[in-house]
Amino acid sequence: MSLREVVLSVRGLKKVFEGSPSVVAIESLNMDVYDGEFLCIVGPSGCGKTTLLRILAGLEKPTSGEVLLKGKPIKGPGPDRVMVFQEYSLFPWRTVLGNVMFGLELKGLSRQEAIREAMKYIMLVGLEGFENMYPHELSGGMKQRVALARALACNPDVLLMDEPLSALDAQTRNYMQEELIKIWDRTRKTIIFVTHNVEEAVYLGDRVMVLTARPAKIKSTIEVNIERPRNRFASEFLKLRMKILDMLREEIEKVMIRSNHSLRP
Amino acid sequence: MKFKNLLLYLTSLIAFLLVWELYCQLIVRNPMFLPPSSRVFATFIELMIFGRPPSFFLPYDMLYSLFHYSIGFSLALIVGFSMGLITGWIKLANELSYPIIELIRPIPPIAWIPITILMLKLTDAAAGFIIFIGAVFPMLLNTRHGVASVEVRYLEAAMTLGATSSLTLIRKIVIPAALPSIMTGIRVSSGVAWMCVVAAELFGVAPYGLGYKIDLARFYLATDIIIAYMIAIGILGLMLDRVYRAIEEKALAWRVGLVIA
Repeated sequence: MSLREVVLSVRGLKKVFEGSPSVVAIESLNMDVYDGEFLCIVGPSGCGKTTLLRILAGLEKPTSGEVLLKGKPIKGPGPDRVMVFQEYSLFPWRTVLGNVMFGLELKGLSRQEAIREAMKYIMLVGLEGFENMYPHELSGGMKQRVALARALACNPDVLLMDEPLSALDAQTRNYMQEELIKIWDRTRKTIIFVTHNVEEAVYLGDRVMVLTARPAKIKSTIEVNIERPRNRFASEFLKLRMKILDMLREEIEKVMIRSNHSLRP
Repeated sequence: MKFKNLLLYLTSLIAFLLVWELYCQLIVRNPMFLPPSSRVFATFIELMIFGRPPSFFLPYDMLYSLFHYSIGFSLALIVGFSMGLITGWIKLANELSYPIIELIRPIPPIAWIPITILMLKLTDAAAGFIIFIGAVFPMLLNTRHGVASVEVRYLEAAMTLGATSSLTLIRKIVIPAALPSIMTGIRVSSGVAWMCVVAAELFGVAPYGLGYKIDLARFYLATDIIIAYMIAIGILGLMLDRVYRAIEEKALAWRVGLVIA
C-alpha cells in the first residue's frame, strides 16, 4: 500500500435521531478510506457502527457533515457503494444466478452478458453448480457468498459489509473469513467491514478503527502489520487483540457508569 | 401415494351417491322433491349432450356464465391490482381511500343488484358489474397487504445495488415480493366472483347462464334439472380454483414449504 489514494472520506459527520429524547448517534467523525484497503470498524454494541455504514451507503442521511466518494459528495444509495447486510437479504424469488444478475440487469447489460458476468462472480465465491438453486435451499454461509457475489458483480468502488458473518456458527465463520481474504486478495476491492468481533477484525483488516461509545467518534485507528495468512494464536495477533479489547472495555465501562448515574434519583 | 388418494376420493364420492340414492328410493320416493342420484346423473348427461326443451342446454349456459365471470373477474383483477399497488405503496393514498373502501366493502354484492338493474338494465354488463363488486375487494386487500409488507431489507438491498427509481423498485422488488399475497387475492377473488355469477343470474340480470336456468327450472318443477345445474356450478367452480392453484404453484416455486392443500 505504497500509493495511499483516498477513495472515500468522511468530514465532520454528525447524526442525530430526532425524538424524545433525541439520540446523538455519531458526533464529529472524520475518516479516510484508502483505495484497495480492508478496513474493519469495531465498537461497543449500540455505538452507531451500523448507522455509520448506512450513512456511507446512502441509506441514511447525515444531520451534518459530508461523505465524499472520490472527491464527490454522495447522493443517496448507488451501486458504487454496495452493501452486504447482516441478515440475509437475498431475493427469495430469484435463483442464485438471478440474484447475482440483479445489479447487472439494472446496468443495462443484455441477458447473455449479464449471465456470463454473473457466472464469473459465482465461480469466484465457489458456488458453481448451485446457480439454479433458490436461497431457501442454501446454508447460511452459502447465502452470504451469494450476497458477496451479488455485491461484487456491481463492481463497486467500495464494498460495505455490516456484520455479514455474525449469523454463522463459529467454524463456518472462520472458514468464511479465510475465503473472504482470498476473494479480496483476488479482486483488491476496498472493503469497509463492520463487526463487533475483535478477533474477526484483527484477522481481516489492514486497519482496525475503534469507535467510542455513543455518540460514536473514532477512539483509535490501529494498523495491523501482520503477514497474511494470519495465525490467530501467534503472540502478535493475541497482543493486538488484547489491546483492542482493552480499548473497548474502557468504552463499555463508560456506558455502564453513565447508566448507573442515570438510575440514581 | 397419488393412487391411494384417488382411491380414497372415489370411495367417499361413491358412498355419498349411494346414501343419496337409497334415501330417495326408500324414504322420499318422490323425484319432484328430491330425485335420486342415478336420475340426476342421467339428466346431467342428457343436458350436456342433447339438452331439454325449451332452453336447457348445459354447455351453452356454462359458457355464458363463464362469459359473465370473465367480464367481472378481469375488471376486478385490473382495478383491484392497481388500487392495491397504489394504496400499499403510497401511504397517503391508503389513508385517503381507507374510509371509502371500508364503507363500501361490507355491502354484499346482492344488495347492489337493484341499483345495478336500474342503471345498467338487464344486460351482461349488469351481471359483470355485480361480479366485479364482489371480486374486487379480496384482490385489492390482498394486493395492498402484500405490497405494504414487503420487507425493508429487500428494498434497501436493491437500492444499494442500483435500483434507484420507484418504478424499478416496484417492478423488480415489490411485485415479486408481494406475489404470494397477490396470488391469494386472485384465488379468493375468483371464488367470490363465481358465487356472484350465480347470484346475479338468479336475479335475472341476464336471460342466460347457469344461475338463471336453475331458477327457470323451478317454474317447470324440474328438480333433476336444478340439481344437475347445481352440480355443473360446483364442477366449474372447482375447475377454476384448480387452474389458479396450478398457476400459483408454478409462480411461487421459490417459496419454502408452500402448502398445496
